[in-house]
Amino acid sequence: MASIRVENVEKTFGRFKALNGVSLEVRDQEFVVLLGPSGCGKTTLLRIIAGLEQADKGRVWIGDRDVTLLPPRARRIAMVFQNYAVFPHLTVYENIAFGLRMQKVSPEKLKANVERAAALMHIENLLGRYPAQLSGGQRQRVAVARALAVEPEVLLMDEPLSNLDALLRLEMRAELKRLLAESRTTTLYVTHDQVEAMSLADRIAVMNAGAIVQYDTPMRVYQEPASVFVGGFIGSPPMNFLRLRVEGQRVRLGSLDLEPPAEVGAEVLLGVRPEDLEVYPAEQPQSFAAQVLVVEPLGPHLLLTLNFAGQAFKATVPPDFPAAAGQTLWLRPQPSRLRWLEPGSGRAFATG
Amino acid sequence: MNLRRLYMVLAVLLVVWVLLPIFLIATLAFSDRPSVFAWPKGLLPQQFSLETISFFFGVEGVWRAIRNSLAVAAMTLVFSVLLGAPAGYALARYRFAGADAYRLLILMTRAFPLAILAIPLAVRFIQLGIYDTLLGVALVHTALALPFAVLVTSSLFLSIPKELEEAAWTLGCNRLQAFLRVVLPLALPGLAATAIFAFVISWNEVFAATLLTLRERTLPAFLLTSLNDSPLPFRFAGGFFLIVPALVFIFVIRRYLFTLWGIASR
Ligand SMILES: Nc1ncnc2c1ncn2[C@@H]1O[C@H](COP(=O)(O)OP(=O)(O)OP(=O)(O)O)[C@@H](O)[C@H]1O
Ligand SMILES: [Mg+2]
Repeated sequence: MASIRVENVEKTFGRFKALNGVSLEVRDQEFVVLLGPSGCGKTTLLRIIAGLEQADKGRVWIGDRDVTLLPPRARRIAMVFQNYAVFPHLTVYENIAFGLRMQKVSPEKLKANVERAAALMHIENLLGRYPAQLSGGQRQRVAVARALAVEPEVLLMDEPLSNLDALLRLEMRAELKRLLAESRTTTLYVTHDQVEAMSLADRIAVMNAGAIVQYDTPMRVYQEPASVFVGGFIGSPPMNFLRLRVEGQRVRLGSLDLEPPAEVGAEVLLGVRPEDLEVYPAEQPQSFAAQVLVVEPLGPHLLLTLNFAGQAFKATVPPDFPAAAGQTLWLRPQPSRLRWLEPGSGRAFATG
Repeated sequence: MNLRRLYMVLAVLLVVWVLLPIFLIATLAFSDRPSVFAWPKGLLPQQFSLETISFFFGVEGVWRAIRNSLAVAAMTLVFSVLLGAPAGYALARYRFAGADAYRLLILMTRAFPLAILAIPLAVRFIQLGIYDTLLGVALVHTALALPFAVLVTSSLFLSIPKELEEAAWTLGCNRLQAFLRVVLPLALPGLAATAIFAFVISWNEVFAATLLTLRERTLPAFLLTSLNDSPLPFRFAGGFFLIVPALVFIFVIRRYLFTLWGIASR
């Protein structure tokens, strides 16, 4: 049993509020990804859970223990630091063995654990080297192996794959996911990379400006963003937002007649993902017209930038779709994929 | 171009200014008696001989003074590192109110002239019963070496990332274990340099050592007090013996002194 529970944690650096009442619950054996823009407080939250930073307010629980006042060594966690923090005076082998030596495990277990962690991160051939003789990506893998070797109950990882090339990263992340599922380690994983977040996470916690703005499964975070921020931050290209007038509880979009939620005001934001727009070269019933501004071939599909009533938005179409700048196209959003948001606060209306 | 030449000339002058006396002392310490007294003195060593040096070591009290000097310097070294390194660590790792003022204060103690302190110090030492003891001299020397020890070690600990210690904590170390297993091995060369520097400061210090001792003279104090009634070869040999350890040690630890003074080390 090693769930993580963070309750109402606040942290201020000088006069800057880095964490603004963060609450987060990670279930036992769950893989949760913290996703958010640079400087939003991800590392700070991780450090508070690890016990490296003291929260001004709030409590932290690991399993059924209140660890708020415990030092890091008593929390049964392991952490991968954003800047690796491998020990320069120890060989790769001794780096990975460091935590095991502190636990005074038997020599056989120590050797086995070190070799397994090293094999997993593909650094078996580097065990005799010193960190100064490694590349950044290799050092990063030593840092991950060092954390894995101690078989912690809770693993905190701060962008552990950020410095690897795309191919290696893809492979590592699949192996990491398999290993952590097998070892039933509760994991909190920080990343900038939303593809990584989507592929690894049981649940994603999206952070912005020191607060968690949405905490849900990857698909729901993607399809039902809680706010304009989340819809814009996740997805590449991001979600489109069209500002529309509400007349008599109806919204007209070309020949489309849509019903917004009951509590809308005079205007409403309609959120729709680029891939959720069906695109037609000729007029269709239940569609709206837009002019093509830019056509970008991206390989698997074409990315169109279109103009509707002075608002630019994006749509994707198959690569053989006949599209050219200046052309008029008709679009029909998939009705089940529409998201209504409040223009002032940027928050989504509850879907009912 | 001209500026550069001027710069070179000044540099050469400075080097000669510093090196010439050392050179003369060194050559004359290894010459025979006649060439020590000769005038004008030749620039190159005359007859090489150990006559002067062996005369020096034959003088009554020299060996004892050397032993005293070694003992005082060793004590200074130990005290400076034991007191200076924790202070340096605190300055490097903790933000506390008045940290900058404290840093400045440490340096200011060096600006305070020892001459003003000397008489009260001697009186107090007599009261405490540590006048004319090696421990008393070592305490004063520690006070002199401590500012350097604190500042050098603080920049030394600053250069060791805090995350390394934090990583050790998450891997099961308490603060002391993390320090011993991670920080200390990385800091060891710098701590050795700090220790050597404290040793040299004590080895060369003459003022306090002269004032605070009567019989338990250190080498510089012994030389200074016996300078007026001793022959020329004795002075050269003694000077040589004072200079050399300092030069050697400073050369060994120059990299750390450069970083202390903010000069890029190479
Ligand atoms: N020790 C500190 N002193 C002052 N400000 C700090 C400190 N640590 C973090 N901050 C500030 O708190 C905010 C959050 O920092 P944090 O490192 O948690 O961001 P992050 O989400 O991890 O960003 P990144 O993705 O760039 O690593 C930042 O604005 C940062 O400047
Ligand atoms: Mg960070």
